[in-house]
Amino acid sequence: MASLDHNRSDESDEEDFNPAPADVSDEEPDQESKDVKRARSPDGEEADAPDSNAQPLEENDEDEEDEEDDAPARGGDDDEEDDEEDEDDEDEDVQQVTHLERSGHRRKRRRDKRNAFFDIEAEVDDEDEGEDDEKDGEEIEDFIDNAHPDDVADSGGMEDDRRHRELDRRREMEQSLDAEKQAEILRQRYGNRRSAKGLADSAVTPKRLLLPSVDDPSIWGVRCKEGKEREVVYSIQKRIEERIGTKEELAITSAFERGGVDSIMKGLIYVEAQRSTDVIKALDGMLNVYPRTKMILVEIKDMPELFRVSKTPNLEPDAWVRLKKPAKHAGDLAQVIDVTENGLEARVRFIPRLDYGVRDELISNDGKRKRPGMPGPRPPQRLFSEVEARRRHPRNIQGNPTTNTWTYMGEEFERGFQVKDIKIQQLVVRDVAPSLEEVSRFTSGAEDGTENLDLKALAASLKDNNNLVTYLPGDVIEVYAGEQKGVVGKATNVQGDIVTISVTEGDLAGQTIEVPTKGLRKRFSVGDHVKVIGGKFRDEVGTVVKISEDRVTILTDHTNTEVTVFSKDLREASDMGGQGSLGQYSLHDLVQLDPTTVGCVVKVDRESLVVLDQHGATRQVMPSQISNKLPQRKTAVAADRNGAEIRLDDVVKEAVGMQRQGKIIHIHRSYVFLHTNETTENSGVFVTKASVVNTIAAKGGRLNNASAGPDLTQMNPALRRNTNEQPQKPVQKSFGKDRLIDQTVVVKKGSYKGLLGIVKDTTDTHARVELHTKSKIITVDKNHLNVKDKKTGQTIDINSRGRGGPPGGYSGSRVPGYQQSGGRTPMANWGSRTPALGGGSRTPAWKADSGGSRTPAWAMGDGSRTVNPYDGSRTAYGGSGSRTPAWQPGGRTPAPGDAFGAGSRTPAYGGGDSWGSKTPAYSAPTPGVSATDPWGYTPGATGSAYDAPTPGAGLTAPSGGALSAPTPGGYGSAATPAAGAPTPAGAWQGGWGAADTAPTPAASAPTPGGYGVAPTPGAGPTYDDDD
Amino acid sequence: MFFLRNMERRVTLHPSFFCKDAHDLVIDNLLRDVEGSCSGNYYIISIMDTFDISEGRILPGTGMAEFTVGYRAVVWRPFKGETVDGIVVSVNPQGFFAQVGPLKLFVSSHLIPDDIRWDPNATPAQFTNNEDINITPGSSVRVKILGTRSEVGEMWAIGSIKEDYLGALQDASETFGGAALDED
Repeated sequence: MASLDHNRSDESDEEDFNPAPADVSDEEPDQESKDVKRARSPDGEEADAPDSNAQPLEENDEDEEDEEDDAPARGGDDDEEDDEEDEDDEDEDVQQVTHLERSGHRRKRRRDKRNAFFDIEAEVDDEDEGEDDEKDGEEIEDFIDNAHPDDVADSGGMEDDRRHRELDRRREMEQSLDAEKQAEILRQRYGNRRSAKGLADSAVTPKRLLLPSVDDPSIWGVRCKEGKEREVVYSIQKRIEERIGTKEELAITSAFERGGVDSIMKGLIYVEAQRSTDVIKALDGMLNVYPRTKMILVEIKDMPELFRVSKTPNLEPDAWVRLKKPAKHAGDLAQVIDVTENGLEARVRFIPRLDYGVRDELISNDGKRKRPGMPGPRPPQRLFSEVEARRRHPRNIQGNPTTNTWTYMGEEFERGFQVKDIKIQQLVVRDVAPSLEEVSRFTSGAEDGTENLDLKALAASLKDNNNLVTYLPGDVIEVYAGEQKGVVGKATNVQGDIVTISVTEGDLAGQTIEVPTKGLRKRFSVGDHVKVIGGKFRDEVGTVVKISEDRVTILTDHTNTEVTVFSKDLREASDMGGQGSLGQYSLHDLVQLDPTTVGCVVKVDRESLVVLDQHGATRQVMPSQISNKLPQRKTAVAADRNGAEIRLDDVVKEAVGMQRQGKIIHIHRSYVFLHTNETTENSGVFVTKASVVNTIAAKGGRLNNASAGPDLTQMNPALRRNTNEQPQKPVQKSFGKDRLIDQTVVVKKGSYKGLLGIVKDTTDTHARVELHTKSKIITVDKNHLNVKDKKTGQTIDINSRGRGGPPGGYSGSRVPGYQQSGGRTPMANWGSRTPALGGGSRTPAWKADSGGSRTPAWAMGDGSRTVNPYDGSRTAYGGSGSRTPAWQPGGRTPAPGDAFGAGSRTPAYGGGDSWGSKTPAYSAPTPGVSATDPWGYTPGATGSAYDAPTPGAGLTAPSGGALSAPTPGGYGSAATPAAGAPTPAGAWQGGWGAADTAPTPAASAPTPGGYGVAPTPGAGPTYDDDD
Repeated sequence: MFFLRNMERRVTLHPSFFCKDAHDLVIDNLLRDVEGSCSGNYYIISIMDTFDISEGRILPGTGMAEFTVGYRAVVWRPFKGETVDGIVVSVNPQGFFAQVGPLKLFVSSHLIPDDIRWDPNATPAQFTNNEDINITPGSSVRVKILGTRSEVGEMWAIGSIKEDYLGALQDASETFGGAALDED
């Protein structure tokens, strides 16, 4: 590469055989001319030199004079200067200009013209500028100082100011001219120029005129030591300087080399001269070059080929390469640390393959002699281990433990890596394509364990191997170089590297043009939703937040992080984005890392995943390291700090530590994985213990787990009533001897269903029953027993006996008839009818309707048992409650009235028998209820609806004695909010309305008072928890 | 931007609700399901009224009844290029997140004027120009939407305050309170 440039500049120098003296004098008056004269004086001397009579030789002189210019002017340090200059040559012309003030200017100017002959470096700008300046100088000679702007620039700070002023003035003047005049000036300026310059215009000059002819000097190829080509050329250069102006001045025109690692022209330097003897003379006695061997005369038609440019890959520190040569390491990835100055060797580091002499020993054990280079299994790549090395070869290792650099068996090791100078031709530089796995082995070697992956270098390496940008029809494309620069359009067709664009913006809008891909880039605008289709961030999807040239910064959808990619690697994304998955693992999946560790995927890369494990540590894993993916358990439940149930999608907050808040995405044993948008760390995922979080918001009030399908028990009130009954059962504690003992029972569920037996013993929940059929004692749930009258065989309720009634008591909750009537407990059932009764007692209509209720006999309650219990709210069962003394005070005091008023839900309850009466409760869900429950009767809400009567029950319970079974606690809490809320008036209204609506569902328009207060929001959660 | 839009939706009802008030239940369900939801491009803010509740049709297999309900709703659709007011929820070195009503919006630091810089030393950390503008969680900001993105059930937007009249609202409660509330 460097060599190439060098050649090029050599060549360029030679091309410069058309100095335009007129120009020089024209544009350089004043102080400029002084410089020029001085600079040109060696020129003149040279012109007298013996060899320089022919025209081509003049160019030669010019060329050499590049160096020679300085020699006289600079004195002692010219050697260094020259060296530097040569390097500059290789780099940038402009640099040279700044470097060498005086001669630099001239060179610069010449270069401008030289460009005319040299297509590769068509510095059109410079030329134009120069012409502008010249012309300006002509136009306004007396107006401004005619100093050449380049000179001004060169002369530093002092001149800088002047230059600015000059520019200002010029602009001012141009502005002051009217457009026509300006056009005229321009026309003159450039029109003249074109015709006058003729050949100087590179665009017009036919290439064949630039080709060498027989009149030009010949080029000889001279053998030299391989790899020393450049040194030889330097030596020639030096010799030229040494002998300049002497009799032995070299007669060659130029010398160059086309060496390089892959070049077929390595081992040769090329010298341009008129005669071969000149070459031999010039190279005589020089090291590493062999002019006495046969020189190859390059044919004229081959000459241009010598200068054909082929781009050589540029090796830069940190780039990735593969090793070819040490056979043991063939194919291994290595990282360039440094490239030697001559560009022939690179210092690389790679992971050593050492066996620390293990194999040697094996061989010697076999009694065979070790043969160096014997093929065998090559040791695996492992970082250098000082310990192992010392064990086997304590003498062969030396080094510095603090810097972790070692020398072992003649090889150098740094921080575990082997470091070696390797010839560049033994490196694979192209298509390295390091996989992330390989690269990560290099990064893990960092001392502090931190990742120091140089993404830039990696990107550069990766970029190299897919530098073929793919454009697809539909891409919005911008031309950023070439004639059509600035054109924006949509690709309609892509063929090879020609893209057909239908232009959408600017003057060309509507037209279709074809452009080579070289000067194209994809165009995006801020806010576009794009997908990365190449490079490290492949498959990320995000929104464009910034664009600078061809670098686009996007905010990724998944992790809310910003990444910068090349626009060539982007495509417009479809609306929904993103894979975020690698194989079967996608972002936020819960995966099993080992039997005791699980983790949540927080980042998905091309080849690896980043996983946050249950202990809060992140680790990068390969998909192969994951044993399996844990399916998301929708039903997973945990208890939070307060013992409340938390499920997926609930929002919880840490009660300790950082107090982070997030939505539960996984529950695993006692750990919950939460996601938050507050932070982008780990893509917002963090892990904590379930026992330290507080529930902030349960999703959908907990009961809206639509995913689980409709929960029938919750939907149908009739079914739900039974479920609500269950929790109350255990509460029905009996004291003293269980009445069940010695009762004749029949089993109503299970495998013993239908069998008769005698209860021998009981616990709170179970009974041991001795079966009649076979002498066996079984344990049965008490709920699964029906108590039978010993004599009649009728089902009885033993609980009711406490009231002094006959064994065939009426109010036991286990009496099927009773249950069917809708009451969960005798209390509830009884209470539910109370308002109706109460209401009825006050309304004539009601009285008329249920006349019997007013009779003392009825009040005494004797008859109640005779009436059909299934008859509905007005049955004797309803009346049964009225018999209790508790009811009577309740009915007449405002307090119980309250309770029932609040329980304006009672009608709903009463309606437990008939659909219509229920409706009001459902059709008019209060906002509070609907907020949490889609169906309007969550257990919470319904609980309150149905439990509302229970306050009444609670009230009466004490009087009932045995009837106190229902848990006061449960009722108490349920009733309190409801009962407390309404005013007596409201309560009354509610109660009344309820009573009224019970028979006529159609009129059951929700009573405002009742509904307004009934489901107090506070009540809902209470029930939730109880449930 | 807010729109009034006529839409249609199918609502299913469990058999246990089959009664004379089923239509009311259907509307309840509709309100619950639809209000506040995001349907890709817009948020349904509020249902104004419903009409054309169809006859229920029993779905084979489940026994659920399906009703087709037409309704008219106020919807809010954020547009690219629209200027909205929002409240900052969180701030990090890359930019800040704001909530514009139901819409989450991110303003990258690239899209914040250069003089407003990230100041990690303030408590809470903020974007500030060390004069009158401080962007901390809770500040009101006026943002121009540069791009939106739909996800299932939510939307995302990228915004910019790198233009005139955008950025932190000085006295949000007085000057722009109404507007901010509207957006919310």
